[in-house]
This record gives sequence, C-alpha cells and structure tokens, in this order.
Amino acid sequence: MNSISGWKETGIKSVWLITALISALSVVFILGYLIITSLPIFFETGIFGFLFNTDWNPTGSTPSYGIAALLVDTLLVTLGAMIFAVPLGLICAVFLAYLAPRKIRDMVKPAIELLAGIPSVVYGFFGMIVLCSLLQNVLDIPSGFSWLAASLLLGIMALPTIVSISEDALFAVPADYKEASLGLGATKWQTISRVLVPAAASGISAAVILGMGRAIGETMAVMMVAGNAAVIPSPLWDVLSPVRTLTATLGIELAEVASGTMHYYALFGVAAVLLAITLVINLISTRITSKIQSGRPIFSVPAPVKKILILSMVLLAAGVILYELGLIPLLIMTGVTAAFFLLKGKISHKTTEHAAFGIIYGGTALVIGILVIILGNIFINGVPAISWEFLTTAPRDLGREGGILPAIIGTLQLVGGAILLALPVGIGAAIYLREYSRDNPLTRLLRIGNDLLSGTPSIVFGVFGFAFLVIFLGWGVCLLAGMICLALMILPTIIKTTEEALKSVPNSLREASLGLGATKWQTIKNIVLPAAAPGILTGTILSIGRAAGETAPIMFTAVVFSKRFISMDLFEPVMSLPFHLYVLSTSVPDSETQQYGTAVVLICIVMAIYLVAIVIRKRFQRKLI
Amino acid sequence: MVMKSKTLKTVGVTTAILVVLLVFASGCISSGEEPETITMSGSTTVLPVAQTVAEIYMDEHSSADIQISGGGSGVGVTAAKEGTADIGMLSRALKDSEKTGSNLSEYIIGRDGIALIAYPANPVSDLTLEQIKDIYQGKITNWKEVGGADMEIVLIGRDSASGTREFFTEYVLNKEDAAKTMQEYSSNGAVQTAVSQTPGAIGYVSLEYVDESVKAFSIAGVKATVENVINGTYKINRPLLLITNGEPTGLAKAFIEYILSDAGQQIIADNGFVPVA
Repeated sequence: MNSISGWKETGIKSVWLITALISALSVVFILGYLIITSLPIFFETGIFGFLFNTDWNPTGSTPSYGIAALLVDTLLVTLGAMIFAVPLGLICAVFLAYLAPRKIRDMVKPAIELLAGIPSVVYGFFGMIVLCSLLQNVLDIPSGFSWLAASLLLGIMALPTIVSISEDALFAVPADYKEASLGLGATKWQTISRVLVPAAASGISAAVILGMGRAIGETMAVMMVAGNAAVIPSPLWDVLSPVRTLTATLGIELAEVASGTMHYYALFGVAAVLLAITLVINLISTRITSKIQSGRPIFSVPAPVKKILILSMVLLAAGVILYELGLIPLLIMTGVTAAFFLLKGKISHKTTEHAAFGIIYGGTALVIGILVIILGNIFINGVPAISWEFLTTAPRDLGREGGILPAIIGTLQLVGGAILLALPVGIGAAIYLREYSRDNPLTRLLRIGNDLLSGTPSIVFGVFGFAFLVIFLGWGVCLLAGMICLALMILPTIIKTTEEALKSVPNSLREASLGLGATKWQTIKNIVLPAAAPGILTGTILSIGRAAGETAPIMFTAVVFSKRFISMDLFEPVMSLPFHLYVLSTSVPDSETQQYGTAVVLICIVMAIYLVAIVIRKRFQRKLI
Repeated sequence: MVMKSKTLKTVGVTTAILVVLLVFASGCISSGEEPETITMSGSTTVLPVAQTVAEIYMDEHSSADIQISGGGSGVGVTAAKEGTADIGMLSRALKDSEKTGSNLSEYIIGRDGIALIAYPANPVSDLTLEQIKDIYQGKITNWKEVGGADMEIVLIGRDSASGTREFFTEYVLNKEDAAKTMQEYSSNGAVQTAVSQTPGAIGYVSLEYVDESVKAFSIAGVKATVENVINGTYKINRPLLLITNGEPTGLAKAFIEYILSDAGQQIIADNGFVPVA
C-alpha cells in the first residue's frame, strides 16, 4: 500500500467519523441549547419552584410558571395508556407468537404494524371527531375531551410497539422450554403463562418502556383530544377530567409566545424537562436491552421483599377504596377477591385454558376491530371528498374549497430534503460504527448519543428548530428549517437500520475481498454496501414514511396554512398535509369533507411508502433463503 | 455480486430520477411570472377575513403570493418584530410594552364583537357581564343557577397567546384569572367546534364565528350583532390591526391599502366585522 492510498483511506475514515459525531453531538447540542435558553426561568422561579408548583398560568395577572400539574398530567395520561395498551399488546403478542396459525399470523402482524404507520395527526383527527363524541354520548359526560380520550388514543398508538417487540421476545424463547413444559404434562396455557411469558419478561418490559417513551413524547394526538386544561384531576383518578401534557403545552403555546419573555423561557424549561424524562426512559430501556443480549436477568427481587411489596400494595389499595368509596364496596371487593382465590384451585385446568384463550382471541379481535374502525371511518368519509380538483388545485376559503396540491408538494419537498440530508450522514455514521471501529468508549458514547436522539420526542426537534434556526439564525419559518428538523428526527432510524444491514453481511465476503488485495474502502464500497443495500433501502423508506406523517417538528419551523404558489426556494415556507389536516380539523368549522379527504390522501401516501418497504423486505428475505 | 451492485445502482438511479422529477415538477408549476411573496401571521380572528381579501387580491394580481398563517395576536407581534412575517395580524390593541423599542406601524382595519356562545339547545339566552364573570371564575358551575337546565357548565376558552382571550380577560374578567378548569383551544374555530358539540359548554368567539351550530347570548338584553357593535350598544368589541415593522413597502403596502379601500372594507363587512371607513 503506497502512502497516497494510505492517506486516502485515513481521509475516508475521518469523513465517516465526522458523520458519526454529528448524530451524537446534535443530541448534546439540542439539550444544551434548550437548557441555556431556559436558564432565565430557573433564575426566576428556582428549579424547585418550576418543578413543584402546580400553577401554570404564564399569562395571568400575576404570572405563574409551575409545571407540576403538567408533569402529573403527562404521567397520568401515559399511565392510562399503558393500563390499556400493555395487557392488550401482550395478548396480541401471545396470540401471534403461540396461537395463531401461520396464515393468520401473516395477515395480523402487518395489520398491527399498519397501526404504527398511521400519522399521529390522523389519530388526533379521529379522536376529535369520533372518539370524543362517542365518549361524550356513551358516558353522558359534559365533554369527551379528557384524560380518558387521550389515554385511549395513546394506548392505541403505543400498541404496535408493544406487540411487535414483545412478540420478538416471546419468539426468542428457546423451543426447549416449551417442549420441556408440555412434556411434563402442563397444558398449553400453563406453559404460556408459567414458562414462556416469564422467560420473555425482560424483553416484554423493554417493549413496555419503549411504548411508554412513545406515549410520553406524543404531541399532536394528545393535544387534539385532551381538553388541555392545566389542572391535576380531582380526585386523582377522575379519568373524565381534562388534562394538559408537557408536549401539548409546547404545541399550543410555543408558536404564540413573544420571544424573550419569561413565558418563552418557561416553555424552553418545559422542553428541557420533557427531553430529560425521555432520555432517562431511553437509558433504562437501552440497559434492559443490553442485559437481555448478554443473557442476564434484569431484576431479581428476593421472595420476602416481594411478599412485603405485594402486601403493602394490597393494603394501600384497600385504604384508597375505603377512603374514597366507603366500607361496603371494600367488603364486596374483598369478598370477590377471596372467592376468586378459593375457587382458583377448583376450576379445572381445561376451563382456565378455555377462558384464557377466549380472552386472547377476544383481545386480538378488539385490536383488529380498532384498526378497521379507524381506517373504515376515514376512508368511507374521505374517499368521496377526493376529486381531480381536490388533488390538483390550491385551497380556497380557508381550505373549505379547492384542493390540497401545495400541501402534497410541500410534504414531498420536506421529506425529500430531509432524506437527502439524513441519508449520507446516517449511512456514513453506520459505516464508521460497524466497519471502522472496534467496541471502544468512543463508539459506545456515539451509540448512546444515537439512542438518545432516537428517543427524543418529535416536538423537541420543533422547539429546537424554532428557537435556533428560525429565530436565532434568522431564517424565518422556511422549508430548509423543516428539512433539518425532520432529518434530525429520522437520522437515528437510518443509522440503526444501516448498522443492522451491515451486520448481516457475512464476514467471509470482507475477508475474501481484503485477501484479494482490495483496500478497506474498496471492500466497503464494492462488496459490503451493495450486499447491504436492501436493508438500507428498507430503513430509508420507513424513515420517509415517518417523516411524511409528522407534524410536530415542522409546525413551528416550516409550514404556513395557506400558500398558492409552489416554489423550490429553501427559505420560503411551504404547506404540508399533516399540518393542513391539523388546522382544518381544529380551526376551520364546516370543512369536514376536506378534513377527511386530506386524511385519506395523507394515509395513502404514508401507507404506499410503507408498502414499498414491506415488498422490498419480502423480496430479499425470499432471495436470502 | 454483479447482481447486487446492480441493485445498488438501480436504487441510486431511481432516487436520483425521483429527486430530479420533484425539482422539475415544482419548477413547472411555479414557472411563469416570478411571484412577489409576503407572509402574514397572527390572530386567528383576523386570519379568515385576511385570507378572503388575499384570495380576491391574488385573483386580481396574478404575481402576488400572500401566505397567511395563524398563531395568535402574540405571534403577530413577535413575527412582525422578528421579521419572520411581513405583516402581523392582531385582534387587540398593541400594548405599550410592545411598542417600546420598536418601530411598528399599525393599521386598524375593522372592529370585532366577541360573542358568548353555547350549545344551540341551551334554554338560557341572556346573561349579564357579572354572570359571565362568575361563570368563568368558577363561582357559577351549573346552568340552573342562571335559569337553565340542571347541567354542569363546561368552560371553554382560548390559549394564552390569543388576543380574544386577552381582551376577554381584561374587559369581562377585570384582568382576573379564569378558573383553571377552563379548556383551552388555540383558535376561534376550535372553540366554536367544541361548543357546538358540547351541550353544557360556554365559549367566547369572534362574532364572525357565530352560525347556526351555536347560539350567541345577548348581554343584558343586547343582542350580539354587527349593528349593535356599530351603534355602540354591544360593548364587548375590540379593534383588528395589521402591523408592519417600519413603513410597509411593495406588496405589503399595496395589500394594506387594498384592505382599507372601499372594496376591502366591503369584504370586512361581508365577513361579519365592523368596517372602519
């Protein structure tokens, strides 16, 4: 190897190192920027006063900036979503992993993945129009916009994450476990409930934590259905109370606050706290995942401690019931529980199994039903709205007439730009992490940075982009700012999927190429990358789908509600489909036809993108076999 | 290997073609005259009428491109000051604190009444200012206390950047805070939609948002109509402003002149506002 090609190799390596650093450093930069911008509020109220004061009233006659109510509401909404989504998700995962015939599994799994592909603004739209009025009528309550509505919606949105990761975990349990248990004479249900699910417990908890991260970071859907009153529900379990989350506060107030005021700084404080929470959740889930990979159990609680914990929880629950509802309900509940435990031994195992499987089938049917209802409602109402005019003209009369062409083009521009920015950086970073570096402190830090970036709530990118690109750099609301925010958001996905794709290329190919005298870069360029192309492509397409449906990162940075001309100017704002749907459904009365029409077009675009990814994945899977 | 590097090439070429197509497609659609662009943002009260005027203006001047987005009056001020918009829209007067240290030009383009609205079937049809204040401060929580049915009152209001809310807080609530249970929505349209779907709701919106889907209260016997705003009997009204950073120029100047002209003021009146000219 002569020195020129040596220099060239070093040069190439440095380029990839730089791309890898971009992802990790952007997290540090975003967090740092948010914290520095929010410093004035902490000087004003103190960290304690900011976090623990329950009064959020930034524009009152005596302004007050306490986020305790927002924090509590965020946790409650997430908790509610988990109470709904975890059992249902687990049921679906068990069904898919153990009970479903192959054919059904091949149909149900993509269907549940489809749920993940529906943009959050479409969930919000469905929640506003269908779910909230349903709750209002069925429960006969004054307003359906509530904690309950937000939790149900978030639960549905967290389902796909929980189902697919839990199913992977269940699937990974060695077949010996199952065979041994069945061989000992246990029923199928006993095997599932006593052997397989506990064996997959760590994977399932990772799934739950990731689902939780998704729920906490969600903005649009929550904001559209939660009612947004900054109060702590009273009593604390009043699920019909309106609530306001951290993300919704940012979504509602950020665009409307004068920069440089205490209110502005307070919102950055909210963003910093939100980011900190998701970072912690992410670190926990990364730890769990790495422990699973190393095969160690994640937590083992000594039996006596377990007993004390359970006992204290039961006592606490009894206390709460006694305090809230009185003695008689407590006695009834105690009776029911006692009866359950007494009868438990008497019911035959077959009966238990039938009941359990019944619940599992029912739960899976419920999830499919939800998907059918959401898509059915939107398509039945939306397809008639679509016409040639709707697809090819600009909106008129606040979008009540005319079409959505500028929004379609704007969405494509935003997504195209984001991909062009993120793809080279993402692939470069993955090449560095996988091909050039060993496992060392630097790469570990880079990976952590990447994980953190992937867990960052999408609205945080929007907040950062607004403050840094739009205001500080003085770009104004423009296409380029939106592209950068979206690119940051999809970067971690591209890095992760590219890394996976590179990992799957067998080492023998690399060794053969190097052995024939090719340089490292020649090997990567001519051998490794082509072999990894399908995997990279799938990751890219999934990112495109995600970027096309996102609203929160672009609503403060890139979009306007109406624009008649279409331009390629990077420093001009654009229209976008998700934002158009958001504004139509929240601010333009009498535009229901156009709302549904926009939702259908948005879903179709995103679904088409996902479908391409699925087809590519299928083709190459078949080729490999 | 040949197969696979082919795949890579195909992928690369396809992507390149798509990008080029996209650029060309956008180029084709926007070709023709080079449009002159201005952006306006701010009050959602002013937004619809500004949009209507802009559409008519753009039909008459094919090279004009006026982009309008909402946000709220607070945004209007910020955007005009920071230069992120050429014209800011406000549904309240500029505050002294906003005027200091900047060179904002302001133009009153009309006045707007604020209507208190409820679900159409609500039997209550008249409230006094004191009753409204008590309702919004949580002292009256049931419609039966103001002569209606036994039904819990659902408070609906605007977000903190809203000029409508600011005016409402100042004029009706005497600058005191509303009850914390008030649900907040970020536009007039959102409040109207929420009230039209919620039997126990009360909300406040700009007069132009009153239609058959909601019912507007008369205030101490005075109906919420444009005529009553003009003749001075309906007191809950405020100015609508356009502001620019310094003297407006070019398209911004032409557009403001148009909205203040007879034709523009006619559109203001058609939209349920009170013209100034």
